[in-house]
Amino acid sequence: MGLRWYHFTAWGLFAIGLALLPEIVSKGTLRTFIFANYLVIFAISWDLLSGRTGYISFGHPFLIGIGAYTSAILTKRFGIDVELAIPIAVIVTMIGGLIVLLPALRIRGSYFALVTLAFMELMYQLVQVIRPDLTGGTRGMSGIQTLTRGAVNGFYFSSFLMFVIAISSWFLLRTRIGTALTAIGLNESAVEGSGLSVTKLKMFAFMASAFVAGLGGAFYVHYLGSLAPRALFDINFVFTIIVAVLIGGASTIIGPIIGALFLTFLLEYLRPYLPGAERYFIYGGIALLLYMYQPKGIYALITSGWQMLQEKSVK
Amino acid sequence: MSYLEIKSLSSFYGKAEALSNVSLSVEKGEIIAIVGANGAGKSTLLDSIMGMVKQKGTISFDDKTISGKSTSHIVKQGIGYAPERFSLFPYMSVKDNLLVGAFTAREKTKDNLAQVYSLFPRLAERETQETATQSGGERQMVSLGRALMSSPKLLLVDEPTIGLAPKVCNEIAVSLRRMRDDFGLTVVITEQNANFAMTLAERIYVLEAGKMQIEGTVEELKSDNRLIEAYFGT
Repeated sequence: MGLRWYHFTAWGLFAIGLALLPEIVSKGTLRTFIFANYLVIFAISWDLLSGRTGYISFGHPFLIGIGAYTSAILTKRFGIDVELAIPIAVIVTMIGGLIVLLPALRIRGSYFALVTLAFMELMYQLVQVIRPDLTGGTRGMSGIQTLTRGAVNGFYFSSFLMFVIAISSWFLLRTRIGTALTAIGLNESAVEGSGLSVTKLKMFAFMASAFVAGLGGAFYVHYLGSLAPRALFDINFVFTIIVAVLIGGASTIIGPIIGALFLTFLLEYLRPYLPGAERYFIYGGIALLLYMYQPKGIYALITSGWQMLQEKSVK
Repeated sequence: MSYLEIKSLSSFYGKAEALSNVSLSVEKGEIIAIVGANGAGKSTLLDSIMGMVKQKGTISFDDKTISGKSTSHIVKQGIGYAPERFSLFPYMSVKDNLLVGAFTAREKTKDNLAQVYSLFPRLAERETQETATQSGGERQMVSLGRALMSSPKLLLVDEPTIGLAPKVCNEIAVSLRRMRDDFGLTVVITEQNANFAMTLAERIYVLEAGKMQIEGTVEELKSDNRLIEAYFGT
Protein backbone atom coordinates (compact mmCIF):
# COMPACT_ATOMS: atom_id res chain seq x y z
CA MET A 1 0.00 0.00 0.00
CA GLY A 2 2.99 2.26 0.42
CA LEU A 3 1.82 3.86 3.66
CA ARG A 4 4.17 6.45 5.15
CA TRP A 5 4.29 8.25 8.49
CA TYR A 6 2.96 11.45 6.91
CA HIS A 7 -0.18 9.66 5.73
CA PHE A 8 -1.06 8.78 9.32
CA THR A 9 -0.05 12.25 10.51
CA ALA A 10 -2.22 13.93 7.90
CA TRP A 11 -5.30 11.81 8.70
CA GLY A 12 -4.65 12.27 12.43
CA LEU A 13 -4.40 16.05 12.09
CA PHE A 14 -7.54 16.07 9.97
CA ALA A 15 -9.44 14.17 12.70
CA ILE A 16 -8.13 16.47 15.45
CA GLY A 17 -8.99 19.52 13.34
CA LEU A 18 -12.56 18.29 12.93
CA ALA A 19 -12.84 17.55 16.65
CA LEU A 20 -11.63 21.02 17.67
CA LEU A 21 -13.55 22.99 15.08
CA PRO A 22 -16.68 23.67 17.19
CA GLU A 23 -14.44 25.43 19.75
CA ILE A 24 -13.10 27.78 17.12
CA VAL A 25 -15.87 28.72 14.73
CA SER A 26 -19.39 30.05 15.12
CA LYS A 27 -22.53 27.92 15.01
CA GLY A 28 -23.44 29.39 11.64
CA THR A 29 -20.12 28.29 10.17
CA LEU A 30 -20.62 24.84 11.70
CA ARG A 31 -23.93 24.54 9.86
CA THR A 32 -22.11 25.31 6.64
CA PHE A 33 -19.61 22.60 7.54
CA ILE A 34 -22.43 20.11 7.96
CA PHE A 35 -23.56 20.73 4.39
CA ALA A 36 -19.94 20.55 3.26
CA ASN A 37 -19.56 17.17 4.99
CA TYR A 38 -22.51 15.72 3.13
CA LEU A 39 -21.22 17.15 -0.14
CA VAL A 40 -17.87 15.47 0.63
CA ILE A 41 -19.67 12.13 1.05
CA PHE A 42 -21.52 12.54 -2.25
CA ALA A 43 -18.31 13.66 -3.97
CA ILE A 44 -16.44 10.60 -2.67
CA SER A 45 -19.25 8.40 -3.91
CA TRP A 46 -18.94 9.96 -7.35
CA ASP A 47 -15.14 9.71 -7.27
CA LEU A 48 -15.22 6.00 -6.38
CA LEU A 49 -17.07 5.31 -9.60
CA SER A 50 -16.44 8.08 -12.12
CA GLY A 51 -13.12 9.47 -10.90
CA ARG A 52 -11.50 6.08 -11.21
CA THR A 53 -13.18 4.09 -13.94
CA GLY A 54 -14.00 7.01 -16.25
CA TYR A 55 -17.68 6.07 -16.30
CA ILE A 56 -18.99 9.60 -15.83
CA SER A 57 -22.22 9.54 -13.86
CA PHE A 58 -24.58 12.47 -14.42
CA GLY A 59 -27.24 10.82 -12.35
CA HIS A 60 -25.79 10.46 -8.89
CA PRO A 61 -28.86 12.08 -7.29
CA PHE A 62 -30.68 8.99 -8.55
CA LEU A 63 -28.69 6.89 -6.08
CA ILE A 64 -28.69 9.51 -3.32
CA GLY A 65 -32.43 9.91 -3.84
CA ILE A 66 -33.12 6.19 -3.48
CA GLY A 67 -31.27 6.21 -0.16
CA ALA A 68 -33.03 9.32 1.07
CA TYR A 69 -36.53 8.34 -0.05
CA THR A 70 -36.30 4.76 1.18
CA SER A 71 -35.24 5.73 4.66
CA ALA A 72 -37.71 8.62 4.85
CA ILE A 73 -40.64 6.49 3.71
CA LEU A 74 -39.75 3.57 5.99
CA THR A 75 -39.48 5.73 9.09
CA LYS A 76 -42.32 8.15 8.45
CA ARG A 77 -44.92 6.03 6.68
CA PHE A 78 -44.23 2.64 8.20
CA GLY A 79 -42.85 3.62 11.58
CA ILE A 80 -39.73 1.52 11.16
CA ASP A 81 -36.84 2.41 13.46
CA VAL A 82 -34.25 4.60 11.86
CA GLU A 83 -31.50 2.15 12.91
CA LEU A 84 -33.11 -0.43 10.67
CA ALA A 85 -34.35 1.95 7.98
CA ILE A 86 -30.90 3.27 7.06
CA PRO A 87 -29.29 -0.14 6.40
CA ILE A 88 -32.33 -1.13 4.33
CA ALA A 89 -32.03 2.16 2.42
CA VAL A 90 -28.37 1.40 1.68
CA ILE A 91 -29.21 -2.06 0.36
CA VAL A 92 -32.04 -0.69 -1.79
CA THR A 93 -29.65 1.94 -3.18
CA MET A 94 -27.17 -0.79 -4.10
CA ILE A 95 -29.93 -2.60 -5.95
CA GLY A 96 -30.61 0.69 -7.73
CA GLY A 97 -26.91 0.84 -8.56
CA LEU A 98 -27.17 -2.61 -10.14
CA ILE A 99 -29.97 -1.37 -12.38
CA VAL A 100 -27.76 1.49 -13.59
CA LEU A 101 -24.93 -0.98 -14.00
CA LEU A 102 -26.74 -3.08 -16.58
CA PRO A 103 -26.58 -0.49 -19.39
CA ALA A 104 -23.08 0.46 -18.26
CA LEU A 105 -21.80 -2.99 -19.14
CA ARG A 106 -22.61 -2.28 -22.77
CA ILE A 107 -22.08 1.42 -23.28
CA ARG A 108 -19.51 3.93 -22.22
CA GLY A 109 -18.42 7.52 -22.74
CA SER A 110 -21.01 10.24 -23.23
CA TYR A 111 -23.78 7.69 -23.78
CA PHE A 112 -23.33 6.34 -20.30
CA ALA A 113 -23.48 9.88 -18.91
CA LEU A 114 -26.75 10.46 -20.79
CA VAL A 115 -28.29 7.22 -19.57
CA THR A 116 -27.50 8.07 -15.96
CA LEU A 117 -28.99 11.53 -16.49
CA ALA A 118 -32.10 9.85 -17.84
CA PHE A 119 -32.31 7.67 -14.72
CA MET A 120 -32.25 10.78 -12.54
CA GLU A 121 -34.97 12.49 -14.59
CA LEU A 122 -37.04 9.30 -14.56
CA MET A 123 -36.78 9.10 -10.80
CA TYR A 124 -37.82 12.78 -10.52
CA GLN A 125 -40.92 12.13 -12.59
CA LEU A 126 -41.77 8.84 -10.91
CA VAL A 127 -41.68 9.98 -7.30
CA GLN A 128 -44.28 12.62 -8.17
CA VAL A 129 -46.72 10.27 -9.84
CA ILE A 130 -46.30 6.85 -8.34
CA ARG A 131 -47.79 6.50 -4.88
CA PRO A 132 -47.70 10.20 -3.87
CA ASP A 133 -49.22 9.04 -0.60
CA LEU A 134 -45.82 7.50 0.15
CA THR A 135 -43.42 9.91 -1.53
CA GLY A 136 -45.32 13.12 -0.85
CA GLY A 137 -45.51 13.79 -4.58
CA THR A 138 -44.30 17.16 -5.85
CA ARG A 139 -44.22 18.68 -2.39
CA GLY A 140 -41.89 16.07 -0.98
CA MET A 141 -41.88 15.11 2.67
CA SER A 142 -41.36 16.94 5.92
CA GLY A 143 -41.35 16.05 9.56
CA ILE A 144 -38.93 13.21 8.99
CA GLN A 145 -37.21 12.03 12.13
CA THR A 146 -33.91 13.81 12.74
CA LEU A 147 -30.96 12.15 14.42
CA THR A 148 -29.25 15.15 15.93
CA ARG A 149 -30.19 18.41 17.59
CA GLY A 150 -28.21 21.60 17.28
CA ALA A 151 -25.27 22.60 15.16
CA VAL A 152 -22.53 21.05 17.29
CA ASN A 153 -24.12 17.60 17.45
CA GLY A 154 -24.99 17.69 13.77
CA PHE A 155 -21.46 18.70 12.96
CA TYR A 156 -19.82 15.94 14.99
CA PHE A 157 -22.20 13.36 13.62
CA SER A 158 -21.71 14.32 9.96
CA SER A 159 -17.95 14.74 10.45
CA PHE A 160 -17.65 11.28 11.95
CA LEU A 161 -19.61 9.76 9.08
CA MET A 162 -17.60 11.69 6.49
CA PHE A 163 -14.29 10.80 8.12
CA VAL A 164 -15.04 7.08 8.28
CA ILE A 165 -16.20 7.03 4.66
CA ALA A 166 -13.23 9.09 3.51
CA ILE A 167 -10.55 7.04 5.24
CA SER A 168 -12.06 3.69 4.24
CA SER A 169 -12.38 4.77 0.60
CA TRP A 170 -8.84 6.10 0.68
CA PHE A 171 -7.52 2.79 2.03
CA LEU A 172 -9.59 0.83 -0.45
CA LEU A 173 -8.20 2.74 -3.41
CA ARG A 174 -4.63 2.25 -2.29
CA THR A 175 -5.04 -1.50 -2.64
CA ARG A 176 -4.63 -3.41 -5.88
CA ILE A 177 -8.31 -2.98 -6.53
CA GLY A 178 -7.81 0.78 -6.67
CA THR A 179 -5.00 0.33 -9.19
CA ALA A 180 -7.17 -1.93 -11.32
CA LEU A 181 -10.09 0.55 -11.23
CA THR A 182 -7.80 3.38 -12.37
CA ALA A 183 -6.51 1.10 -15.10
CA ILE A 184 -10.08 0.56 -16.34
CA GLY A 185 -10.47 4.31 -16.74
CA LEU A 186 -7.28 4.50 -18.78
CA ASN A 187 -7.57 1.42 -20.97
CA GLU A 188 -10.37 -1.02 -20.37
CA SER A 189 -9.43 -3.60 -23.01
CA ALA A 190 -5.87 -3.84 -21.72
CA VAL A 191 -7.22 -4.65 -18.26
CA GLU A 192 -9.28 -7.41 -19.83
CA GLY A 193 -6.28 -8.66 -21.79
CA SER A 194 -4.33 -8.92 -18.53
CA GLY A 195 -6.81 -11.50 -17.35
CA LEU A 196 -8.85 -9.38 -14.94
CA SER A 197 -12.61 -9.58 -14.88
CA VAL A 198 -13.58 -6.08 -15.97
CA THR A 199 -17.24 -6.87 -15.29
CA LYS A 200 -16.57 -7.80 -11.66
CA LEU A 201 -14.38 -4.75 -11.13
CA LYS A 202 -16.97 -2.40 -12.60
CA MET A 203 -19.64 -4.05 -10.51
CA PHE A 204 -17.50 -3.50 -7.44
CA ALA A 205 -17.01 0.20 -8.27
CA PHE A 206 -20.75 0.66 -8.83
CA MET A 207 -21.63 -1.11 -5.61
CA ALA A 208 -19.08 0.85 -3.57
CA SER A 209 -20.31 4.11 -5.08
CA ALA A 210 -23.97 3.20 -4.49
CA PHE A 211 -23.20 2.12 -0.93
CA VAL A 212 -21.67 5.50 -0.09
CA ALA A 213 -24.40 7.41 -1.97
CA GLY A 214 -27.16 5.49 -0.18
CA LEU A 215 -25.55 5.93 3.21
CA GLY A 216 -24.99 9.65 2.60
CA GLY A 217 -28.50 10.14 1.21
CA ALA A 218 -30.17 8.38 4.12
CA PHE A 219 -28.25 10.23 6.81
CA TYR A 220 -28.69 13.52 4.96
CA VAL A 221 -32.47 13.21 4.94
CA HIS A 222 -32.42 12.42 8.66
CA TYR A 223 -30.37 15.55 9.21
CA LEU A 224 -32.58 17.84 7.14
CA GLY A 225 -35.85 16.34 8.35
CA SER A 226 -37.41 17.07 4.99
CA LEU A 227 -37.13 16.07 1.38
CA ALA A 228 -37.92 18.07 -1.75
CA PRO A 229 -37.73 16.31 -5.11
CA ARG A 230 -36.97 19.50 -7.01
CA ALA A 231 -33.92 20.26 -4.94
CA LEU A 232 -32.69 16.68 -4.96
CA PHE A 233 -33.09 15.67 -8.60
CA ASP A 234 -31.59 18.90 -9.82
CA ILE A 235 -28.97 19.17 -12.53
CA ASN A 236 -27.23 21.87 -10.45
CA PHE A 237 -26.83 19.35 -7.64
CA VAL A 238 -25.13 16.96 -10.08
CA PHE A 239 -22.81 19.72 -11.27
CA THR A 240 -21.93 20.74 -7.73
CA ILE A 241 -20.87 17.17 -6.96
CA ILE A 242 -18.85 16.82 -10.16
CA VAL A 243 -17.22 20.25 -9.89
CA ALA A 244 -16.28 19.54 -6.26
CA VAL A 245 -14.47 16.38 -7.35
CA LEU A 246 -12.79 17.97 -10.35
CA ILE A 247 -11.72 21.17 -8.55
CA GLY A 248 -10.25 19.10 -5.74
CA GLY A 249 -8.67 16.41 -7.89
CA ALA A 250 -10.45 13.36 -9.25
CA SER A 251 -9.47 9.82 -8.34
CA THR A 252 -7.70 10.84 -5.12
CA ILE A 253 -10.44 10.87 -2.38
CA ILE A 254 -8.47 13.70 -0.70
CA GLY A 255 -9.24 15.92 -3.70
CA PRO A 256 -13.04 15.63 -3.38
CA ILE A 257 -12.77 16.49 0.34
CA ILE A 258 -10.82 19.65 -0.45
CA GLY A 259 -13.04 20.46 -3.41
CA ALA A 260 -16.32 20.06 -1.53
CA LEU A 261 -15.15 22.20 1.39
CA PHE A 262 -13.76 24.83 -0.96
CA LEU A 263 -16.91 24.96 -3.04
CA THR A 264 -19.32 25.11 -0.11
CA PHE A 265 -17.45 27.91 1.61
CA LEU A 266 -16.80 29.83 -1.58
CA LEU A 267 -20.51 29.91 -2.32
CA GLU A 268 -21.33 30.72 1.30
CA TYR A 269 -18.88 33.59 1.64
CA LEU A 270 -19.89 35.09 -1.66
CA ARG A 271 -23.53 35.13 -0.59
CA PRO A 272 -23.51 38.59 1.13
CA TYR A 273 -21.88 40.21 -1.91
CA LEU A 274 -23.61 38.31 -4.66
CA PRO A 275 -26.89 36.98 -3.34
CA GLY A 276 -28.17 35.68 -6.68
CA ALA A 277 -26.97 33.21 -9.25
CA GLU A 278 -24.01 35.49 -10.11
CA ARG A 279 -22.03 33.54 -7.54
CA TYR A 280 -21.95 30.67 -9.96
CA PHE A 281 -19.98 32.83 -12.40
CA ILE A 282 -17.23 33.13 -9.81
CA TYR A 283 -17.09 29.43 -9.18
CA GLY A 284 -17.29 28.70 -12.88
CA GLY A 285 -14.40 31.10 -13.42
CA ILE A 286 -12.26 29.51 -10.72
CA ALA A 287 -13.01 26.04 -12.04
CA LEU A 288 -12.10 27.17 -15.56
CA LEU A 289 -8.80 28.70 -14.47
CA LEU A 290 -7.92 25.58 -12.55
CA TYR A 291 -8.68 23.24 -15.44
CA MET A 292 -6.56 25.38 -17.76
CA TYR A 293 -3.49 25.44 -15.56
CA GLN A 294 -3.79 22.38 -13.33
CA PRO A 295 -6.40 19.93 -14.62
CA LYS A 296 -5.61 17.54 -11.79
CA GLY A 297 -7.09 19.99 -9.29
CA ILE A 298 -6.18 21.61 -5.98
CA TYR A 299 -4.76 18.36 -4.59
CA ALA A 300 -2.12 18.34 -7.33
CA LEU A 301 -1.36 22.03 -6.64
CA ILE A 302 -0.73 21.18 -2.99
CA THR A 303 1.42 18.11 -3.67
CA SER A 304 3.52 19.86 -6.31
CA GLY A 305 3.94 22.84 -3.94
CA TRP A 306 5.05 20.46 -1.19
CA GLN A 307 7.58 18.85 -3.53
CA MET A 308 8.96 22.27 -4.52
CA LEU A 309 9.39 23.16 -0.85
CA GLN A 310 11.23 19.91 -0.17
CA GLU A 311 13.55 20.45 -3.12
CA LYS A 312 14.31 23.97 -1.93
CA SER A 313 15.11 22.81 1.58
CA VAL A 314 17.46 20.16 0.20
CA LYS A 315 19.39 22.82 -1.68
CA MET B 1 -1.48 -32.40 -30.46
CA SER B 2 0.52 -29.21 -30.72
CA TYR B 3 1.10 -26.91 -27.76
CA LEU B 4 -1.19 -24.25 -29.23
CA GLU B 5 -3.61 -25.60 -31.78
CA ILE B 6 -6.11 -23.50 -33.70
CA LYS B 7 -8.53 -25.34 -35.93
CA SER B 8 -10.77 -23.66 -38.52
CA LEU B 9 -11.20 -20.46 -36.57
CA SER B 10 -13.53 -17.77 -37.84
CA SER B 11 -13.92 -14.51 -35.95
CA PHE B 12 -16.56 -11.83 -36.20
CA TYR B 13 -17.12 -8.19 -35.35
CA GLY B 14 -20.87 -8.09 -35.31
CA LYS B 15 -21.73 -9.82 -38.56
CA ALA B 16 -18.50 -8.94 -40.38
CA GLU B 17 -16.13 -11.86 -40.67
CA ALA B 18 -12.57 -10.75 -39.82
CA LEU B 19 -10.95 -14.19 -39.86
CA SER B 20 -12.10 -17.05 -42.02
CA ASN B 21 -11.26 -20.67 -41.40
CA VAL B 22 -7.80 -20.08 -39.98
CA SER B 23 -5.71 -22.98 -38.67
CA LEU B 24 -2.37 -22.75 -36.96
CA SER B 25 -0.22 -24.86 -34.70
CA VAL B 26 2.66 -23.91 -32.44
CA GLU B 27 5.02 -26.36 -30.77
CA LYS B 28 6.40 -25.82 -27.30
CA GLY B 29 9.51 -23.60 -27.28
CA GLU B 30 9.00 -22.18 -30.75
CA ILE B 31 9.03 -18.57 -31.85
CA ILE B 32 6.34 -18.05 -34.46
CA ALA B 33 5.58 -14.94 -36.46
CA ILE B 34 2.29 -14.12 -38.11
CA VAL B 35 2.99 -11.72 -40.94
CA GLY B 36 0.42 -9.62 -42.72
CA ALA B 37 -0.52 -6.12 -43.82
CA ASN B 38 -2.86 -3.73 -42.02
CA GLY B 39 -6.30 -5.21 -41.74
CA ALA B 40 -5.14 -8.75 -42.49
CA GLY B 41 -6.52 -9.93 -39.16
CA LYS B 42 -3.34 -10.32 -37.11
CA SER B 43 -4.63 -8.54 -34.01
CA THR B 44 -7.99 -10.25 -34.39
CA LEU B 45 -6.21 -13.61 -34.37
CA LEU B 46 -4.44 -12.82 -31.09
CA ASP B 47 -7.60 -11.30 -29.60
CA SER B 48 -9.42 -14.51 -30.59
CA ILE B 49 -6.88 -16.68 -28.79
CA MET B 50 -7.47 -14.50 -25.71
CA GLY B 51 -11.22 -15.00 -26.02
CA MET B 52 -11.90 -11.32 -26.63
CA VAL B 53 -13.69 -11.67 -29.99
CA LYS B 54 -16.81 -13.53 -31.08
CA GLN B 55 -15.63 -16.71 -32.79
CA LYS B 56 -16.28 -20.16 -34.23
CA GLY B 57 -13.83 -23.06 -34.34
CA THR B 58 -11.63 -24.61 -31.68
CA ILE B 59 -8.50 -23.41 -29.93
CA SER B 60 -6.61 -25.61 -27.53
CA PHE B 61 -3.57 -24.90 -25.43
CA ASP B 62 -1.49 -27.43 -23.53
CA ASP B 63 -4.07 -30.14 -24.30
CA LYS B 64 -6.96 -28.10 -22.91
CA THR B 65 -9.68 -26.43 -24.92
CA ILE B 66 -9.63 -22.68 -24.34
CA SER B 67 -12.07 -21.49 -26.97
CA GLY B 68 -15.27 -20.27 -25.39
CA LYS B 69 -13.57 -19.61 -22.06
CA SER B 70 -13.25 -16.20 -20.40
CA THR B 71 -10.13 -14.13 -20.91
CA SER B 72 -9.22 -14.37 -17.26
CA HIS B 73 -9.46 -18.18 -17.45
CA ILE B 74 -7.20 -18.18 -20.53
CA VAL B 75 -4.62 -15.97 -18.79
CA LYS B 76 -4.68 -18.34 -15.82
CA GLN B 77 -3.99 -21.28 -18.15
CA GLY B 78 -0.67 -19.59 -18.93
CA ILE B 79 -1.10 -17.29 -21.91
CA GLY B 80 0.28 -13.76 -21.58
CA TYR B 81 -0.75 -11.00 -23.98
CA ALA B 82 1.04 -7.81 -25.00
CA PRO B 83 -1.64 -6.12 -27.13
CA GLU B 84 -1.52 -3.75 -30.08
CA ARG B 85 0.41 -0.48 -29.64
CA PHE B 86 1.45 -1.50 -26.14
CA SER B 87 -1.98 -0.55 -24.75
CA LEU B 88 -0.67 0.82 -21.47
CA PHE B 89 -2.24 2.88 -18.69
CA PRO B 90 -0.69 6.27 -19.51
CA TYR B 91 -1.09 8.13 -16.21
CA MET B 92 0.02 5.28 -14.02
CA SER B 93 3.57 4.51 -12.96
CA VAL B 94 5.64 1.78 -14.60
CA LYS B 95 5.28 -0.35 -11.49
CA ASP B 96 1.48 0.05 -11.29
CA ASN B 97 1.24 -0.84 -14.98
CA LEU B 98 3.17 -4.02 -14.27
CA LEU B 99 1.07 -4.80 -11.20
CA VAL B 100 -2.16 -4.79 -13.20
CA GLY B 101 -0.68 -7.78 -15.03
CA ALA B 102 -0.06 -9.58 -11.74
CA PHE B 103 -3.64 -10.21 -10.63
CA THR B 104 -3.83 -13.77 -11.90
CA ALA B 105 -0.47 -14.78 -10.34
CA ARG B 106 -0.54 -12.91 -7.04
CA GLU B 107 1.73 -15.23 -5.04
CA LYS B 108 4.50 -14.84 -7.60
CA THR B 109 4.29 -11.04 -7.91
CA LYS B 110 7.67 -10.45 -6.25
CA ASP B 111 9.58 -13.03 -8.31
CA ASN B 112 7.95 -11.97 -11.54
CA LEU B 113 8.72 -8.32 -10.88
CA ALA B 114 12.37 -9.20 -10.25
CA GLN B 115 12.41 -11.20 -13.47
CA VAL B 116 10.95 -8.32 -15.49
CA TYR B 117 13.47 -5.89 -14.01
CA SER B 118 16.37 -8.25 -14.78
CA LEU B 119 15.16 -8.49 -18.35
CA PHE B 120 14.60 -4.73 -18.66
CA PRO B 121 16.87 -2.94 -16.16
CA ARG B 122 15.67 0.39 -17.55
CA LEU B 123 12.21 -0.26 -16.10
CA ALA B 124 13.67 -0.74 -12.63
CA GLU B 125 15.35 2.67 -12.89
CA ARG B 126 12.08 4.28 -13.97
CA GLU B 127 9.71 2.39 -11.72
CA THR B 128 7.84 5.51 -10.57
CA GLN B 129 7.69 7.29 -13.94
CA GLU B 130 4.32 7.65 -15.66
CA THR B 131 4.29 5.68 -18.89
CA ALA B 132 2.76 8.66 -20.73
CA THR B 133 6.18 10.32 -20.55
CA GLN B 134 8.14 7.33 -21.84
CA SER B 135 9.67 6.56 -25.22
CA GLY B 136 8.18 3.96 -27.54
CA GLY B 137 10.85 1.40 -26.71
CA GLU B 138 10.30 1.77 -22.98
CA ARG B 139 6.56 1.44 -23.45
CA GLN B 140 7.03 -1.78 -25.35
CA MET B 141 9.17 -3.04 -22.47
CA VAL B 142 6.39 -2.17 -19.99
CA SER B 143 3.86 -3.92 -22.20
CA LEU B 144 6.00 -7.08 -22.45
CA GLY B 145 6.76 -6.87 -18.73
CA ARG B 146 3.07 -6.59 -17.86
CA ALA B 147 2.37 -9.73 -19.91
CA LEU B 148 5.16 -11.57 -18.05
CA MET B 149 3.66 -10.67 -14.67
CA SER B 150 0.98 -13.34 -15.10
CA SER B 151 3.64 -16.11 -15.22
CA PRO B 152 2.80 -17.15 -18.79
CA LYS B 153 4.05 -20.21 -20.62
CA LEU B 154 2.99 -18.81 -23.98
CA LEU B 155 3.47 -15.15 -24.82
CA LEU B 156 1.48 -13.40 -27.55
CA VAL B 157 2.96 -10.10 -28.75
CA ASP B 158 1.09 -7.91 -31.21
CA GLU B 159 3.52 -6.03 -33.47
CA PRO B 160 6.48 -5.73 -31.12
CA THR B 161 8.33 -3.30 -33.41
CA ILE B 162 5.54 -0.91 -34.30
CA GLY B 163 6.84 2.66 -34.43
CA LEU B 164 10.24 1.74 -33.04
CA ALA B 165 13.71 2.69 -34.33
CA PRO B 166 15.79 -0.17 -35.84
CA LYS B 167 18.18 -0.17 -32.88
CA VAL B 168 15.29 -0.51 -30.42
CA CYS B 169 13.78 -3.27 -32.58
CA ASN B 170 16.99 -5.21 -32.05
CA GLU B 171 16.78 -4.79 -28.29
CA ILE B 172 13.22 -6.05 -28.34
CA ALA B 173 14.26 -9.03 -30.50
CA VAL B 174 17.04 -9.85 -28.05
CA SER B 175 14.67 -9.74 -25.09
CA LEU B 176 12.05 -11.88 -26.86
CA ARG B 177 14.72 -14.47 -27.64
CA ARG B 178 15.87 -14.40 -24.02
CA MET B 179 12.33 -15.05 -22.86
CA ARG B 180 12.38 -18.24 -24.90
CA ASP B 181 15.99 -19.31 -24.21
CA ASP B 182 16.30 -18.31 -20.56
CA PHE B 183 12.73 -18.50 -19.30
CA GLY B 184 11.45 -21.31 -21.51
CA LEU B 185 8.53 -19.39 -23.00
CA THR B 186 6.85 -20.13 -26.30
CA VAL B 187 6.42 -16.91 -28.27
CA VAL B 188 3.94 -15.89 -30.96
CA ILE B 189 4.34 -12.45 -32.53
CA THR B 190 2.54 -10.62 -35.30
CA GLU B 191 4.53 -8.41 -37.64
CA GLN B 192 4.20 -6.15 -40.65
CA ASN B 193 7.96 -6.03 -40.92
CA ALA B 194 8.70 -9.31 -42.71
CA ASN B 195 12.47 -8.89 -42.33
CA PHE B 196 12.20 -8.56 -38.57
CA ALA B 197 9.93 -11.59 -38.47
CA MET B 198 12.42 -13.66 -40.46
CA THR B 199 15.35 -12.77 -38.21
CA LEU B 200 13.47 -13.60 -35.04
CA ALA B 201 11.07 -16.44 -35.78
CA GLU B 202 11.60 -20.03 -36.80
CA ARG B 203 8.33 -20.43 -38.61
CA ILE B 204 6.12 -17.91 -40.28
CA TYR B 205 2.46 -17.75 -41.16
CA VAL B 206 1.26 -15.22 -43.70
CA LEU B 207 -2.21 -13.86 -43.13
CA GLU B 208 -4.01 -11.99 -45.86
CA ALA B 209 -7.53 -10.57 -45.74
CA GLY B 210 -8.50 -12.86 -42.89
CA LYS B 211 -7.20 -16.04 -44.49
CA MET B 212 -4.02 -18.00 -43.86
CA GLN B 213 -2.14 -17.95 -47.17
CA ILE B 214 1.31 -19.38 -46.66
CA GLU B 215 3.00 -21.27 -43.88
CA GLY B 216 6.56 -22.49 -43.53
CA THR B 217 9.94 -22.28 -41.90
CA VAL B 218 12.02 -19.17 -42.51
CA GLU B 219 14.34 -21.22 -44.74
CA GLU B 220 11.45 -22.39 -46.89
CA LEU B 221 9.96 -18.96 -47.20
CA LYS B 222 13.21 -17.31 -48.11
CA SER B 223 13.24 -19.36 -51.29
CA ASP B 224 9.52 -19.01 -51.84
CA ASN B 225 8.54 -16.20 -54.13
CA ARG B 226 4.96 -16.35 -52.92
CA LEU B 227 5.81 -14.50 -49.71
CA ILE B 228 7.54 -11.76 -51.62
CA GLU B 229 4.71 -11.56 -54.10
CA ALA B 230 1.96 -11.72 -51.55
CA TYR B 231 3.59 -9.36 -49.18
CA PHE B 232 5.65 -6.91 -51.17
CA GLY B 233 3.34 -7.01 -54.16
CA THR B 234 5.99 -7.34 -56.85
